[in-house]
Amino acid sequence: MIQAQVGVPVGRARLTELSLLVWVGVLAVLGFVAVVGAETSSFGVASIIVPAVFIVLALSLHVFLAARRFRGDQVLMPIAAVLTAVGLVQVQRLASDLLLQQLSWTIIAGGAFAATILIPRDLTALARFKWTWAFLGVLLLVAPLFPVIGREINGARIWIKVGPGSIEPWEAVKLLLVIFFAAYLEEYREVLAHSPRRIGPFPVPPVPYLVPIVAMWGIAMLVMVFEKDIGATALFFGIFLAMLFLATGEAFYAVLGLALLLVGGFVAYQLFGHVQVRVDTWLRSFDEDLRFGAGYQLVQGLYALANGGLFGAGLGNGMPDRIPVVWSDFVFDAFAEETGFAGALALLALYLLFLYRGMLIALRAPTTFLQLLAAGLSFIIALQTLVIVGGNARLIPLTGITLPFVAYGGSSLVTNWMLVALLLRVSEVSNRMRGGP
Amino acid sequence: MEITFGVLLWGVRIAFLVVLYLFLIRAFSALQGSLDAETQVAARSTGIAFLVVQRSVRGAPRVGDRLPLRAVNAIGRDAGNDLVINDEAASARHALVEFTDGEWWVQDAGSTNGTLVNGQTVRSRERLQYGDELGIGRVALRLEQ
Amino acid sequence: MTAPIAANIRSLTLTLAAAFLVTSVGVSYWTIIAADELANDPFNPRLIAASNDRPRGAILDRNGARLATSERGASGFVRSYKDQSLAQVAGYASLQFGLSGVEAAYAESLIGQDRADPISIWRARYLGERQAVGSVVLAIDEKIQKAAADALGGRRGAIVALDPRTGAILASVSVPSYDPNQIVDPQRQQTAMDRLNKAVDHPLLNRTAQGLYPPGSTFKVVTASAALESGFDPTKKLRVDDPYQPDRSWGDYFVRSASHAHGLFDMSVGFRLSENIYFTQVALQIGGGKLAEYAKRFGVGTTPKLDLPAAKGQLSDSGVIDRPTLAADTSYGQGELLVSPLQMALIYATIANGGVMPTPHYATEVRDAEGHVVRQIAPGAQGQVISANTAKALTTMLVGAVAGPGAFAFGAKIPGVDVAGKTGTAENRPGEAPHGWFVGFAPAQAPTVVVAVIVENASEGGVTAAPMGAQVMRVALGK
Repeated sequence: MIQAQVGVPVGRARLTELSLLVWVGVLAVLGFVAVVGAETSSFGVASIIVPAVFIVLALSLHVFLAARRFRGDQVLMPIAAVLTAVGLVQVQRLASDLLLQQLSWTIIAGGAFAATILIPRDLTALARFKWTWAFLGVLLLVAPLFPVIGREINGARIWIKVGPGSIEPWEAVKLLLVIFFAAYLEEYREVLAHSPRRIGPFPVPPVPYLVPIVAMWGIAMLVMVFEKDIGATALFFGIFLAMLFLATGEAFYAVLGLALLLVGGFVAYQLFGHVQVRVDTWLRSFDEDLRFGAGYQLVQGLYALANGGLFGAGLGNGMPDRIPVVWSDFVFDAFAEETGFAGALALLALYLLFLYRGMLIALRAPTTFLQLLAAGLSFIIALQTLVIVGGNARLIPLTGITLPFVAYGGSSLVTNWMLVALLLRVSEVSNRMRGGP
Repeated sequence: MEITFGVLLWGVRIAFLVVLYLFLIRAFSALQGSLDAETQVAARSTGIAFLVVQRSVRGAPRVGDRLPLRAVNAIGRDAGNDLVINDEAASARHALVEFTDGEWWVQDAGSTNGTLVNGQTVRSRERLQYGDELGIGRVALRLEQ
Repeated sequence: MTAPIAANIRSLTLTLAAAFLVTSVGVSYWTIIAADELANDPFNPRLIAASNDRPRGAILDRNGARLATSERGASGFVRSYKDQSLAQVAGYASLQFGLSGVEAAYAESLIGQDRADPISIWRARYLGERQAVGSVVLAIDEKIQKAAADALGGRRGAIVALDPRTGAILASVSVPSYDPNQIVDPQRQQTAMDRLNKAVDHPLLNRTAQGLYPPGSTFKVVTASAALESGFDPTKKLRVDDPYQPDRSWGDYFVRSASHAHGLFDMSVGFRLSENIYFTQVALQIGGGKLAEYAKRFGVGTTPKLDLPAAKGQLSDSGVIDRPTLAADTSYGQGELLVSPLQMALIYATIANGGVMPTPHYATEVRDAEGHVVRQIAPGAQGQVISANTAKALTTMLVGAVAGPGAFAFGAKIPGVDVAGKTGTAENRPGEAPHGWFVGFAPAQAPTVVVAVIVENASEGGVTAAPMGAQVMRVALGK
């Protein structure tokens, strides 16, 4: 048997994952002890309770995978776990009254992870229902605009009411979209890439296939206009462009798409106040009229970064509470203030590693659909991270996107863990077929 | 006492950063490790078996051609397949031939005219033994080592 | 073939990795490269050390009188300002509005992390020790300050008094002022700040260092200095006939004498009677270039080296004196000149100090919690601007400008003391009353105090300002 030849006997499964999770556990404990210690000026035993619960959760997921003889990747889950742990430490630091909520969501996310490992039994079946996913995705995307269930919070109309709380449906939309695009593009990539008609060096896809592209752009613009969330627009459109590029290899489509986005954004800037505010705040953050007004959050975030320096002010030692809504919008800056550039760099490296691993899984996937799926999912995490850290560090305008796994937010945590589960399943399919590690 | 607590607290903070980097390095080397194992597997899986063309039509692989098999092979008319069979009677995505748990398996991928093994239509997923003849459209292929 | 997708995956990954690199560089910019600049930004709440359990250092006058302290209130420490006349100097420390004045300039010292004490910085940062904070001692003398505030009363303007030997600022009044306690009161701060920002007479402005005005006749010492240092004979009498014009090329532009004089004037009389036509002729004789050179040497058009923000002013719109009419106007302190009261005080302090210009400073010491001096602020002199002889000659003439017969600055006389000084009535916008200036020092033989007074829109001009100057000097000299 091939697996025996490579030296990974079935019995000794997932040791790498376990050893990595041990480090995650140590990190969680250290983080909580430091933060609670700084707050209460003593080392109390109570500070270990939450990290202990988290460690139990992470280990249960590991045991679950090991018991099922799951042969998927062993590095992704620990990376997601370490990021989630950092997130819990940050919630304790920045908004400790929300800690219990975040912990509950973490457990739910773990459940969603396990569920996604089990269902659907055949991953390729996902490809068959692509139009269902597309429809569901668009529905969820525009749901917040409906009168009864839609809600506008902090100026963005991207929430829907669910019982006592609200969730962001577009978190699920991004997963549905990637699945849809992966399936759609697998079928039509031939036509889109090797189209006979070319204007000079530029490919011109036949009109029927051009329509969905323009439709996507149109929907993205509508989202920006009506839901007042340029972050969702950027992400949504970015995912689409990336998948298009992955399937066709035509950089031209990506460049064209970006140009369209910029044009649309420019027009939006001229016409819409909320876009103007974001861009002005980005360009002239320290101007008198902005630094105490619309730009206050960003400016305070930058002060936090400056306070961080190389090694940070120390966990629990900064002043992140000066940043409004720091626990969801500016976790990165708060983390960088207390762990410095060193900590921030490590965090970015973790996301890069996640991307790297996800793309490797994509490369090794046996069918086009699975390749596109895995690449698209990895791309989501990478793009989200880049957009929010870029906004926090004033490289691009601030958006409403949150840092995956780390920022406070239930629906985002659940969908991201489902994303990890999907990636693991793709990797499992590859391993099962090829007999690899 | 105040000073000892302060020093200990700083110790914990520094340990946090150190552990974060240790995790990063460990995860990265685990990645590299799996990459190496992967290359080994890839090396081993080229040329493990072949499909030899028995009968063919114009445009499709010639009779006598030895088409190398990988661990998983998508077969069909579409150019994105691992094995491209340019026959009108073959569907764009016709069949999937894969090596799992030490055996060769063939599965129909939703083709119009069906996939045949030794003349019999493949219903779901069936074993393919060495010497068996696989029918894709009007092309016949035999599995050989 | 699935290979093409693999290539696309690789290129996409590479692009993303590059984006991550750019992002890391961006983050490093804020955490490392620009970190110091941001950390010292006066609006950075960390500099305000805002956690309520920490008192901020006290600001004291030279004799230890408390000007600003942190008082323990119901919900932590609140800043309390005792002397409203020093509002712009002491500044405010507000979480909402940031820092200003001494609170800003000495922000690190006031949270116990003065740069001269690196150990305290280290202890605060790494051991998280809440430093017991000390204080910042100003050169201000409350007695003199009160005299200045009383003298100016409610009239808009500024008074600054400094020691010409050291540059230490003994009094600094800027009217209109405001109550800084309102700015640090969470209840009233927003309305107070809105009102202050909208007020047309800018109470937040520190007029002594940042208010810019035409100096009027007080500027004649600069013209005189340029002349004396160029070999001009001050005893030579020049013909003065009101109105004056050197030749017809000036068209309908004339220089007017304040007393419609006709006669022969030398420099002493020129000072005593503040004769514009005399000084115009002096300027025309030495040339606009020479005048400009000495104005620059006296610091006109340069930002004074002060520990608080100060305005630059200007010699002229273009920075040079390129026309005879401009030379004429500048010679008696009009033209396009703009100076601050502090700059005028420095010019006269130079004369009082044997021709050496001192460096002005508001603060003198930073002390720790036990009262030990952590850092002395004594910047020293800035160099010889005019020769000691020129200074002596000018001093004599300035004494005459106060005590001599018909002296315009008679209001500055102090019994038993030789006061050297000059009034000025500066025209500004047409239709508005001119500004009244007085700048002087005493005692003339060995000056220990220089005072600059400006009263905005005083219909009687310098005559209003002179007695205010005398009042301040009298208290400073202990008379």
